Amino acid sequence: MRNKYLLFWCLVSLACTANGQSPNDGLMMPKKQLCILAQYANGSWTEYWEGENKRENSNLGKFVAQSYMLMGNYGLSKRWNLILGVPYIQTKSDSYLKGQQGIQDLSLWVKYHPLEWSTNKGALNIMTTGGVSTPLTNYVNDLLPLSIGLRSRTASLRGIFNYTFNFGLYTTIQGGHTWRSHTHIDRDSYIFNNQLVYSDEVRVPNVADGSLRIGFIKPRFQTEIWIEKNACFSGDDIRYNDAPFPTNKMIATAAGFMAKGFITKQFALQASISQVLSGRNVGLATTYAAGCTYFFTVGKKADANAQ
Amino acid sequence: MKNTSTLLAFAMLIGLVACDKTIDSATTLPYPETSLESNAGNWKTYQLVSNTEIPVPAPEAANSAAYLAELDELKNIVANTTEAQKEAAIFWGGNGVARWHEIARNLAAQYNVPPNYNADGTYPAPDPANPTAYPRFPFANPPYASRAFALLAVAQYDALVAAWHYKFQYNRLAPYRYTAEINPLIPENDLPSYPSEDAVVAAASREVLKFLFPGEKPLLDEYSTEHKSSRLWAGANVPSDLAAGDSLGRLVAAKIIAYAKTDRMGQANNQAGVQSLRDDATARGITQQWHSLDLPARPPMLPFFGNVKPWNFNDSTKVAIRPSAPPAVGSDAFNTALKELQDLAKNRTRKQWEIASYWADGVGTYTPPGHWNRTASELILEKELNEIRSARAFALVATAIQDAGITCWDTKYYYLLPRPTEVDRTVTTSTGIPNFPAYTSGHSSFSSAGAEVLAYLFPDHTSELIALAKEASESRIYGCIHYRFDCEVGLESGKKVAEFAIERGRNDGSE
Repeated sequence: MRNKYLLFWCLVSLACTANGQSPNDGLMMPKKQLCILAQYANGSWTEYWEGENKRENSNLGKFVAQSYMLMGNYGLSKRWNLILGVPYIQTKSDSYLKGQQGIQDLSLWVKYHPLEWSTNKGALNIMTTGGVSTPLTNYVNDLLPLSIGLRSRTASLRGIFNYTFNFGLYTTIQGGHTWRSHTHIDRDSYIFNNQLVYSDEVRVPNVADGSLRIGFIKPRFQTEIWIEKNACFSGDDIRYNDAPFPTNKMIATAAGFMAKGFITKQFALQASISQVLSGRNVGLATTYAAGCTYFFTVGKKADANAQ
Repeated sequence: MKNTSTLLAFAMLIGLVACDKTIDSATTLPYPETSLESNAGNWKTYQLVSNTEIPVPAPEAANSAAYLAELDELKNIVANTTEAQKEAAIFWGGNGVARWHEIARNLAAQYNVPPNYNADGTYPAPDPANPTAYPRFPFANPPYASRAFALLAVAQYDALVAAWHYKFQYNRLAPYRYTAEINPLIPENDLPSYPSEDAVVAAASREVLKFLFPGEKPLLDEYSTEHKSSRLWAGANVPSDLAAGDSLGRLVAAKIIAYAKTDRMGQANNQAGVQSLRDDATARGITQQWHSLDLPARPPMLPFFGNVKPWNFNDSTKVAIRPSAPPAVGSDAFNTALKELQDLAKNRTRKQWEIASYWADGVGTYTPPGHWNRTASELILEKELNEIRSARAFALVATAIQDAGITCWDTKYYYLLPRPTEVDRTVTTSTGIPNFPAYTSGHSSFSSAGAEVLAYLFPDHTSELIALAKEASESRIYGCIHYRFDCEVGLESGKKVAEFAIERGRNDGSE
């Protein structure tokens, strides 16, 4: 059983880290199989870290980001998967600032599964994912935390190690690196590292992420717990009592739980919850998500051995 | 899989593009003097009573043993200049006056963050006696910044007028005019170099900025020292040029600081007096008054900045040019203006958002006065003005902008008009709502004053400057920060204020 589950974008940051959290599992779609995920997620926080200082802000109140995600994962072959995703995001707060909404970034990943060692107890799988993303709309990126994203192009690479016992227990360790391009804001000066920069071009720090997942998978059911960390390599802190900015060094550690069940052979429901545990320049966010997945074969079923 | 390989290659390519992490920032190269302005020593000063009020002793003659020893010392310095020192010579050699305004804008942006509230809902006030403790002094809000740029510009200008007087009185030329062995790193000129205009600017700027940003004294000393040393590294001044210039700049700055201590800025944040402002307005029939929308309610920003001494007119003129009352809350004219904002809050276009954001100049920026200071700087550099022409331009612009701020603040606390969002909470904004009354628009007042004076100084840019001021003004409507009448009246008021500075410019002896 190698169904693809997708646990996406988890709203850990003040606005969002904008790096797709999806193609980081240890599963592959069989050839000519397509899975479509539609998912709603709601992340909110009232406390956030301004640098390393955790605080509330009565002028911002409670921040809420909701997203509606559409993702597709297609098995190009047994070893190659193509994944596409695009979210619509809506943000709001208790402030007088206008909440934002819109289609965010289109993400595309290619997942490759070159290695598999099977024993009579289980199988070790090694996979790699390469991805790119690009903003689809000219959304406002200089109104964090209300902006729906940073409007930066990204490219990512990750490695995935998965061990699944034949009886269903599995663990996945994965790590990735996301390069993020400069972005452009509507004004032509801003402060970075306590210096005024005379440009509309803003450096967005690159980010690394890693996660450890432990779960149980059966043909009709899957559940998983995880812990993950996202960390920018560079960047500055939110200045005391100032707003966040795309240059900020955002770091977040979060833990989560997911469950998924198949209603029919083709149709599954899933739900998850995650909680940020510690961070820097991000919100202390609680995110829950619910979605459904639909699996089907594109064209003639080519490989009867597809598991 | 050929397709897959292509996709991966594409991913790598995007990755490489995303990797370039440098941001270009413009540098200004030194340019030659187009005019020596030999009469500038007689231009009208702001605070100096005369161009000889601060004495500068006569220099050693160019053929004296003392001067020849200085020349030898300078040859030695120039011969041993490091690459970093050469870079500094170019950095400061472009336009020292503009460079110090850039430093001021940087400081204004860094200090432009309102203090956070205390646990008990009160707000701490920055303390000039303890500037580095939170909340740092100053909170460089727009009025504070407008005054900072004006004080800096006036100190530079007055000090340079005096310097020009002594330059042409003593007429000791640059060291490279007395020896062929010094090849300066910056363009040569025939301007007398005693006292050094760069040392004058460095000292005057340093002292005034230390007064305005007392937590930055070490940094300002560092800049000043480098600026002065850069003249030795450039081969453009001998040490005695610099010493005389530093002394003159420092003493002129002391005069400007003494003025600043009595310009009534010290009482501008008199929160105890706010109730009397409200009572006065009530007595004039203004019952629906502005309140802070911050949570918890924040004391209004500088409620008595309108009482600060203007530069280019007196207090009675200020009252005489105060705009007439805005439409009363609830009147037809008011409701029409409010309706425009209610519609904008629902259907703000991306272009309107961009304009609102471009001109917002809010928290963590150099403020609207800084925005126009930057525009002034860009025009000055484009026209390659020399130091004294630059200082004059900055002084005319910055004093007009501060005067516009004073007039605007006087008007704001006279009419106490609530912000649109206070009247209708559904009017959501694209940027933070300033913590002071709406009428008239500060952005419009500052921008109009700045643009009008700049148009006088750079007439070939007039239409562009007036259009920029109009856009800055309208940006506040797009942001739903201001009613249209706030902005229109603000533009008119700023223009009226600018006329006083322009009048001064026409009669300061420079034309």
